[in-house]
Amino acid sequence: MAPLLKVRDLSVSFVTDTHKINAVRDVNFDIAPGEKLGFVGESGSGKTTTALALMGLVPNPGRVTNGVAKMGDLDLLGLSRDEIKAERLRTISYIPQGAMNSLNPVQKVRDSVLDGMEDHGVRMGRGERRAVVSELMEKAGLPRDASARYPHELSGGMKQRACIAVAIALKPRLLIADEPTSALDVITQRRVMQTLDRVQGELGSGLILIGHDMGLMAQFVDRLVVMREGRIVEVGSTRQVFKSPRAAYTRELITSVPAMPVRRPALQVCAGDRPGHVEDDDTLLSLENASKTYQRGIFKKDVVALKPVSLRFSRSNPKIIAMVGQSGSGKSACGNLMLGFQKPTTGRIMFGGRDVATMKRREKTDFRRQVQAVFQDPYASFNPFYTIDHAFTVPLRRFGVAANRAEAYDIMAHSLQRVGLEPGATFGSHAHQLSGGQRQRIMVARAVALRPKLIVADEPVSMVDASLRATILENIRQLRDDFGISVFYITHDLATAYRSSDGVIVLRRGRVVEAGLPDEVICDPKHPYTVQLVESIPSPDPDQAWARVREPQEARSGEDADTFSQAVIRSRIPGFSIRSGTAA
Amino acid sequence: MDLSRIIKRLVLTAFVFFGAATLNFFLPRFSGGDPIAERLAQLGDSGGTMSADALSAMIASYNERFGLDLPIWEQYLNYLWDMMRLDFGYSIAYFPTRVWTLIGQALPWTIGLMITTTLIAFLAGSFLGAFAVWRKNAMTGTLMPLMMVFAAVPFYLVGLLLIFFLGYQLRWFPTGGGFSPLVLPSWELDFAFNVLYHACLPAASIVLSSIGIWALAMRGMMVTVAGQDYMTFARARGLSDRRMFFSYGIRNAILPQVTTLGLALGQVVTGAILVEIVFSYPGLGNLLLQAVRGADYFTVYGIVMILVLTICFVTLVLDLIYPLLDPRVRQGAP
Repeated sequence: MAPLLKVRDLSVSFVTDTHKINAVRDVNFDIAPGEKLGFVGESGSGKTTTALALMGLVPNPGRVTNGVAKMGDLDLLGLSRDEIKAERLRTISYIPQGAMNSLNPVQKVRDSVLDGMEDHGVRMGRGERRAVVSELMEKAGLPRDASARYPHELSGGMKQRACIAVAIALKPRLLIADEPTSALDVITQRRVMQTLDRVQGELGSGLILIGHDMGLMAQFVDRLVVMREGRIVEVGSTRQVFKSPRAAYTRELITSVPAMPVRRPALQVCAGDRPGHVEDDDTLLSLENASKTYQRGIFKKDVVALKPVSLRFSRSNPKIIAMVGQSGSGKSACGNLMLGFQKPTTGRIMFGGRDVATMKRREKTDFRRQVQAVFQDPYASFNPFYTIDHAFTVPLRRFGVAANRAEAYDIMAHSLQRVGLEPGATFGSHAHQLSGGQRQRIMVARAVALRPKLIVADEPVSMVDASLRATILENIRQLRDDFGISVFYITHDLATAYRSSDGVIVLRRGRVVEAGLPDEVICDPKHPYTVQLVESIPSPDPDQAWARVREPQEARSGEDADTFSQAVIRSRIPGFSIRSGTAA
Repeated sequence: MDLSRIIKRLVLTAFVFFGAATLNFFLPRFSGGDPIAERLAQLGDSGGTMSADALSAMIASYNERFGLDLPIWEQYLNYLWDMMRLDFGYSIAYFPTRVWTLIGQALPWTIGLMITTTLIAFLAGSFLGAFAVWRKNAMTGTLMPLMMVFAAVPFYLVGLLLIFFLGYQLRWFPTGGGFSPLVLPSWELDFAFNVLYHACLPAASIVLSSIGIWALAMRGMMVTVAGQDYMTFARARGLSDRRMFFSYGIRNAILPQVTTLGLALGQVVTGAILVEIVFSYPGLGNLLLQAVRGADYFTVYGIVMILVLTICFVTLVLDLIYPLLDPRVRQGAP
């Protein structure tokens, strides 16, 4: 079959007064009608720029310096500004990462669907428009009334579907999906990708999927293009690339994915409610029937973020405990309670035998030092105005860990080395001068410098490249061993939770549904929700099929409701105890 | 928008008005002046002969006339009742003209000049600021610094310059007044043109000096909006430039500007004072100046209350309108 799109010698350069960066160099590839082609590579590899070049959207000061992109007789790269504009949406359509704000916040979804059609010369009557919109909503798997909503009234998954509906309005021949699901949790990701698959099949169009998730690629695309520093290092069928990668870089990408273990029965046979036990006088921090409800004024329903739960960290036996769940499941609410940022609605948070809520100023200062936080966004966690030194020295001095400046710098240097950074190169720099990975490691180093007993890490690696994730998580593991620091690791990524934790807690809608050793919970999940969660993870092995997500298993009869809401507590996690308030 | 928000807002507005009215009542009384005595003393000075007895009798009768002989709490309650009905009493300087009559004569001039010019400056400035981001060329490149210069110069200075060059030297425009002394106010077209002709210079001075501020603020917002994901997606869909500029760009960038507009409209009467004095314009500003000079306290109170009312009213209206412009604040967006 003749290729749908034939790209030859595509080069894109960004030229400034002082630099010339060759973002894309001599890229060649074909895509057949109905084919799914994946572009992978780390950030900065040129995969997005390649796609943008096809649509004439390379941002300034970038220029397409060479190449042709033939779609039939049409050379996409040779079109004038107005000509290529006419081809967008009609011939090539772009699906952005919709969970971010890709839709105009002040217009309803239906208007976002229609304005593109109108600007491409489609004239429709009122009834026709309504029909078109509801057909597109249905295709994208959205409820009919979603078209009358504003973007902020949609969940992340629904926003992504809305973006798909907008993009396919004119039945384009080529779809370019740029990291469409990287901000979604695995279950939503699986559902959205199912929809995208179906939509593409119906249109019979080609699809370019840009991403960095090797698992997703293995499960979704037919052929894979691996890019690095603007060049294609490898092209091949997905099976061939994963089974026998030719380039060393491809192997590196594949191995950097924390592979999910093959499902197998757990070593210990376990049943029933068998909570671990931590002695009272050995308790570091505990949640005692703590719950969190957000009140939203008289006229709105309260939101239950976390249902009552009790858990205990041991002082003498530090552990890394992972809490996993979809977005909105209450993981972060739990973390914020532990950090004392929020007060529990019911129950207590105890630290060192005292209630955090009623601590005196001095006790509170000590608590703040001993329980440290590492947040998700390495960009937003630093005040851009100050140097990195400031982020270190202020808390070191304030908590009295360092008596003077010299000592503070000593501690700083030491903790930077601990996370594998060169202190000399880091001192004195501002946050924007460092890479995302460096920043995130500095956040870890900063927390460690205060010699805490517990670190609450909320998605600490979700914004860094896969190759760095392993390093940072390894850093965290070593801290447990060397300094006896317990870690509460909040994540939506089951693979890293499995790799780095001593115990896993699964949260669903504010309720603990399963808890136990990683081998049990993730390799042999018992609770139907955990099963669903584990099955939704795309495996980087093309032979291992990506299970279709069953429709949400909501309980129908009373008996079902019990099994679904009953927490499955697996075997004991040494140094940690958990009891779900509702199960007890 | 939900009803509780509207009610909450209305109650708040009532409280602000009540607070302002109370301050307005008590502050002058703590300052210790006696407006009646001052007024009569002035009259007495100009009139020449008047015995001290007759004077104090007059003061007493006037005090009774204005209700100043009552206990303070009763005066206060009366005053609040008056304020609720927007009854500001009689002007002392122009007795027996009611304060409302004076304000009623001056208010249309001020509103006509200030509100119109503020809106013009807002619309033109916002558009220019947005356009400067959208089309970076030589024209917008020189326009922005120029507008920044005007923004830095106070408007009465701009006004004086305009009067000197366009009014005095070139004689293109009148140097002051709301209309020519030779025409009679009427609902004729001629008179309307005369008014417009006289409004040109004051309007120009206000627009010139404030347009730059609007443009600058809008430019900043437009830069932010241009970097948003929805702009990228709009471009990737090949939307028309017109739609991207208006429905995506300006439509989103204007939102914070509208908040600022509310504050600016609230300041309209305050801002009017200097302009009206420079151009001897027959508005509230001029009336306030005369009232202060003539110790005409009741007129001053009336004007101050009108000021408070405009600010309350404008912010109330904006608060109620804003959710219509931005769906995200309609029901406590996440």
